[in-house]
Amino acid sequence: MPKVMIPTPLRQYTDKKDSVEVAGATVGEILGALTATYPDLKKNLYNDEGKLRSFVNVYVNDEDIRYLGKDKAQVAATDTVTIVPSIAGGR
Amino acid sequence: MIRIGGEAWQVMRAHAEAIFPNECCGAMLGRNDGETKHVTVALPLENVHAGPRVTRYELRPEDLLRAEKEARGRGMDLIGIFHSHPNHDAYFSETDLKNSCPWYSFVVLSVKDGQFDHAKSFLPNMEQTEAPEEALDLPG
Repeated sequence: MPKVMIPTPLRQYTDKKDSVEVAGATVGEILGALTATYPDLKKNLYNDEGKLRSFVNVYVNDEDIRYLGKDKAQVAATDTVTIVPSIAGGR
Repeated sequence: MIRIGGEAWQVMRAHAEAIFPNECCGAMLGRNDGETKHVTVALPLENVHAGPRVTRYELRPEDLLRAEKEARGRGMDLIGIFHSHPNHDAYFSETDLKNSCPWYSFVVLSVKDGQFDHAKSFLPNMEQTEAPEEALDLPG
């Protein structure tokens, strides 16, 4: 099954696991299954409209899903899905 | 509270001064014991903002991914992000807030005329509407 790597601050919602194996063939299916298992994770990843929050980036292996079809990005059983924040700023 | 160790602080401060008059940025690694976040390693990262870097910074997500992997490899956690405000105070600006992530501490270093002046830490909320100040303990 594909493995989802959980960023440190979110492990409090995944029983302290740093990675979770989740069944699914696309990023949408995998994140859906992940947040169904760990509902508290959902509000960290999705806004009230059900869209990924602006600061959430998702990678399949080392590829950003924005270039792979977003939620429809294909994920193989041996792939790793990683959640990475988007950060910028300035005075 | 966030406590920054001597070696990490030296790296953060030197990076902020070296990159002046542009804004610097980087990642802070360490451990969170539940009450205090102990930063022991600072990783300077490239400011990849496409426009003027005097007033803006942007982290490459791949660099954050690398920082997260490095933290795991060292048995540490990615605790926070630091950046500088050249010739301005260490506050959390509207731009900082709108581009923040609530999962981390954000340390802002004020650098004036190329010299470190002061620093503050902030904890942005999920909706990116406010960022209360967090107690910051610096060496010395």
